[in-house]
Amino acid sequence: MSAADSATAIQRNQVDLLDFIDWSGVECLNQSSSHSLSNALKQGYREDEGLNLESDADEQLLIYIPFNQVIKLHSIVVMGSEEDGPKTVKLFANREHMGFSNVSDFPPSDTAVLSPDNLKGKPVVLKYVKFQNVRSLTIFIEDNQSGSEITKVQKIALYGSTVETTDMKGLKKIEDH
Amino acid sequence: MVLEATMICIDNSEWMRNGDYAPSRFQAQADAINLICGAKTQSNPENTVGVLTMAGKGVRVLVTPTSDLGKILACMHGLEIGGEMNLAAGIQVAQLALKHRQNKKQQQRIIVFAGRCAVIACSPVTHDKKALEMIGKKLKKNSVALDIVNFGEDDEGKTEKLEALLAAVNNNDTSHIVHVPAGPNALSDVLISTPIFTGDGEGGSGFAASAAAASAGGVSGFEFGVDPNLDPELALALRVSMEEERARQEAAAKKAAEEASKQEKGGEEQDATMTERASEGTSEADNKKNEIADDDNTLLQQALAMSMDEPTSSQDLQDTEMSDAAAEDPELALALQLSVQDSTKDSSSQADMSTLLADQSFVSSILASLPGVDPNDPSVKEVLASMQNQSEPQQKQGEDKAPKKEEEK
Repeated sequence: MSAADSATAIQRNQVDLLDFIDWSGVECLNQSSSHSLSNALKQGYREDEGLNLESDADEQLLIYIPFNQVIKLHSIVVMGSEEDGPKTVKLFANREHMGFSNVSDFPPSDTAVLSPDNLKGKPVVLKYVKFQNVRSLTIFIEDNQSGSEITKVQKIALYGSTVETTDMKGLKKIEDH
Repeated sequence: MVLEATMICIDNSEWMRNGDYAPSRFQAQADAINLICGAKTQSNPENTVGVLTMAGKGVRVLVTPTSDLGKILACMHGLEIGGEMNLAAGIQVAQLALKHRQNKKQQQRIIVFAGRCAVIACSPVTHDKKALEMIGKKLKKNSVALDIVNFGEDDEGKTEKLEALLAAVNNNDTSHIVHVPAGPNALSDVLISTPIFTGDGEGGSGFAASAAAASAGGVSGFEFGVDPNLDPELALALRVSMEEERARQEAAAKKAAEEASKQEKGGEEQDATMTERASEGTSEADNKKNEIADDDNTLLQQALAMSMDEPTSSQDLQDTEMSDAAAEDPELALALQLSVQDSTKDSSSQADMSTLLADQSFVSSILASLPGVDPNDPSVKEVLASMQNQSEPQQKQGEDKAPKKEEEK
């Protein structure tokens, strides 16, 4: 039921929030320099199976995504391989500039343990009530499926809808008559 | 112009009373730190610098990252020397201080002065190395860059441990280590020419150049012997004529490419030193060392020549020419010599090094095998292009730089 739900939800009014990401503020800690976050987030790169986001010093990753307007987050899709793909993913809404040292300081807005189905593209439906007013999202990938040293993420997609806030860049001056 | 927050970790242990770095190790450190703070704040006004001491009763933060240079200089006064340095704790406290910086957009950097490290405890090298590698990994994970200034004595495998630490932290060459041996050169002078000051090839070189002039007084060590700050037009004119000369030589040198294989042995050295020299930029320290090691170079050149079955006479001739001119104006000497070469049509000696260097693919492969040199770096490519034109004075300067650079790296 949840699968059908999520599928229809995505069709109904949830959009891919790619357009609302504020790219200038996107950060990823512990990513490998040759396999960066763009490979997983950006249109085109994320569809390419050869391009992955990879972790560097150990298997954890901390991704910070600010949005240019307030959004409601409904579900996420995290795709990866069966061995190196992420397993436990914690999401924090509206926490700026987190570091690995304070991920355990406060409880996550939601936690997802990814199954092989999820890694193939099945969306994970989140606790919608916790993500009603999201200005920024922090994704903490705690470990991967096989426990290896490097976590590889092929795609991250966010689905949700916008709250009707004004996009300041779209404001235009009213001409005097 | 990278926006950066830096924490400087000072070693104020008992061993800093030693006078092997003039006037005392501690003073040398203080001077170096003053220069670094100045360079950082000048390269970007929003940069912040903080200072902490690692020895004494324990790790103590003297000033949290601030862009107020006066505050930083003031806190360096009245520092007491004593105790033993605790490297691990120092780095961790520095990391914490950076975590709480006010402007989260700043890149994080730690500069450590490692004089005499007890490190963790007087335990075998492997144990310390592991602990340091863990710390390094943590720094890399949180994208903190680390610069290490290794001076003082090297007991208990200190250099080895510091190299291991650097390897663990280094991400894309943002972290560096500099080994400063005791000697007549001041610690700060040596540091000016390193990436710690020049900030990965951009930024502080303007400040560094003027600082070099101020601290040494007297002899101007700038390219062409003219201070770009004092007389920019003259410096520019000289540089332009130099480039034109090089372009002309490039065309001439290209035709002698087939003699490359014969020169392999000698050319390899030249390449390595050439690149290193180019990537540093100009500094007074360069020329000073040239003058000191001139004799060694002449001998070295002769040895090279003999091993290559080249007519030594022509090389000697060039050597003497060069020693005269090279004292003050190496670039000018180069121009002179190139025009001399041209008129005498001494193709064999011209082919000596420049032809090998003209072989781009060979040079690239050599460069790729050098540590810390990225062949795709634009400044390296630039050097490659003009490398055919470098003749002996350049190479000579390069050569005495080579032993120094090997050490530093």
